[in-house]
Amino acid sequence: MSTIAGTAPRGQARRRIRFDGWRWGGRIFLVFMLLYTALPMIWMLLTSIKSGFAAMQFPPQWWPDQPTLASYQKLLDPQNSVGQDFLRFFWNSLFVSTATTILSVIVAVPAAYAFSRFTFPGRNFLFFTVLLRNMFPAVIFLVPLFILMRAIGLVNTHGSLVLTYLTFGLPLAIWLLKGFYDNIPVQLEQAARIDGATRFQAFILIVMPLSTPGIIATAIYSFIGAWNEYIYAYTFLSKNEQLTLPVGIQRFFSENTTDFPGLMAASFIMSVPVVVLFLVLQRYFVRALTEGAVKH
Amino acid sequence: MTIVTGKTEARRRLQPGGSGLLRKIWEHRADYAYVLPAIAVMLVVIAYPIYYTIELSFFSTPPGLQLRDKTFIGFDNYTAILTSGVFWKVTWNTLIWTVGSTGISFVLGFAAALALHRDFFGRGVLRAILIIPWVISAVAASYIWKWIYHSDFGIIGAVLVGLGWADRPPNFIDSVSTVLPSLIVVNIWREFPFAMIMMMAGLQTVPDQLLRAAKVDGANAWQRFWHVTFPHLRNVSTVTILLLAVANFNSFIIPWIMTGGGPSNASHIWITHIYELAFGRQRWGVASAYSVLLFIILMTFGYFYVRALSGNDRRDGSA
Repeated sequence: MSTIAGTAPRGQARRRIRFDGWRWGGRIFLVFMLLYTALPMIWMLLTSIKSGFAAMQFPPQWWPDQPTLASYQKLLDPQNSVGQDFLRFFWNSLFVSTATTILSVIVAVPAAYAFSRFTFPGRNFLFFTVLLRNMFPAVIFLVPLFILMRAIGLVNTHGSLVLTYLTFGLPLAIWLLKGFYDNIPVQLEQAARIDGATRFQAFILIVMPLSTPGIIATAIYSFIGAWNEYIYAYTFLSKNEQLTLPVGIQRFFSENTTDFPGLMAASFIMSVPVVVLFLVLQRYFVRALTEGAVKH
Repeated sequence: MTIVTGKTEARRRLQPGGSGLLRKIWEHRADYAYVLPAIAVMLVVIAYPIYYTIELSFFSTPPGLQLRDKTFIGFDNYTAILTSGVFWKVTWNTLIWTVGSTGISFVLGFAAALALHRDFFGRGVLRAILIIPWVISAVAASYIWKWIYHSDFGIIGAVLVGLGWADRPPNFIDSVSTVLPSLIVVNIWREFPFAMIMMMAGLQTVPDQLLRAAKVDGANAWQRFWHVTFPHLRNVSTVTILLLAVANFNSFIIPWIMTGGGPSNASHIWITHIYELAFGRQRWGVASAYSVLLFIILMTFGYFYVRALSGNDRRDGSA
């Protein structure tokens, strides 16, 4: 199927003669999926460069006749109150997501390694208990965690979010990384041990570098999850200056539901960091899923 | 340092003598240091909340979070839930939402993965574009689609009117009959890329020799897919469908931001309903009882999930 080069002359000749229904079906389907995926995002961008008046027309202006960056200027201008708030939300999101990512990697890497290599009692039980976290919706934990965070004085701090977000990413992170370590030959570490390295040194010096794609994938996953999280931030934080972007833009626009260009601009800015991060590093992510999650 | 499969592990644990187990734990104490941080975080943020939720579900609670003034009422919260009409309405919605979103996301994602499997010009770019909805926040997605569905200025309504298929723009998310399907379309938009990535990863593991052998034997494209590719992907498919089903069952943001469960509960699913009971109406006891029921359902899901995953593991161990 994928060896076009190998079967070159005869295969191509045959293909030119015969109509390949599967291939054409696939192409038409991909065009449909492209439209389904991209049109909403294009409409977001087009709306974001309209004036409030131009957005409120029926039938809509397909292409804005007087495109303007006013919405973006308003959001990103530290001189006015809207811009101040918005930029603060942005930095809050960045701080919480970065802290979550760093801690996730620190916690997940050794755990995944231990689950892959060691045979301590209760290993399988603990492993599947961690995986089960994927099952539970945020809502179940909301009331008790709110009470717990209040008791330990973390309500209205970003610490409460980082601690909770850690547990979202961990199950998949540990699972992905364990798959990675399973595929790294044990002999590599044994060789290092013979050369005099301790078990921990072998892990840090030999295994860690080999699992870089897995670690990057884990980091992306944690970052995106934390950046996009809504329900805990919505419940745990009440002060305006602490809010993260998803909650912040909701507060912004709940009073003024007609400013759709502003809302679309805010949605776009909120999407930029994670989309860029993902596009730059996506090959690591896809590779991690291939090697980690999907066993041969 | 050797990798031991679950079976040997279980056999060892079955050996008589508690002191043997304790000694074993002690011998492996250095190993636990690696998993301790993960387990500690999990304990605080999961075990305690589960315990507290179960406790609270047997109490009548005052509004506000003055939960010390609660009174024990046995199973009354549970009977109140099961005898209310809203419960069955919301359960039905949840079923349609979960099955519809999961099924269509999986089929679209799998088809896209198959179509993208063959190399062609622009494949990388196309794949990246198709993944983007999964990466952007559900909050942004909700606002984008709310604007697209807008009953006065929405683009879909405008197209329908422009084509003469409707007299005026339909109220996609303000009408009881169309709200749930409309939200499912949004959800699929966000979810199918996940299925696509997983199945693409899976497709790379299908041995080329098998497909070529099947071709030599005269199997057509459909037969090759059905008899070679698909059986090979059974494990990936199971895991993907389970992950999607759980994620959809637990989704909150899209229905909450787009409709808040309305109109007249038509788009309430379990999660949004529980949230409203707890934080909207401050009925902590009833919300906790709902959570416990949810927990039981999810543990059933979880049983199959762990079985699918350990099926992966076993095959790996014997290979």
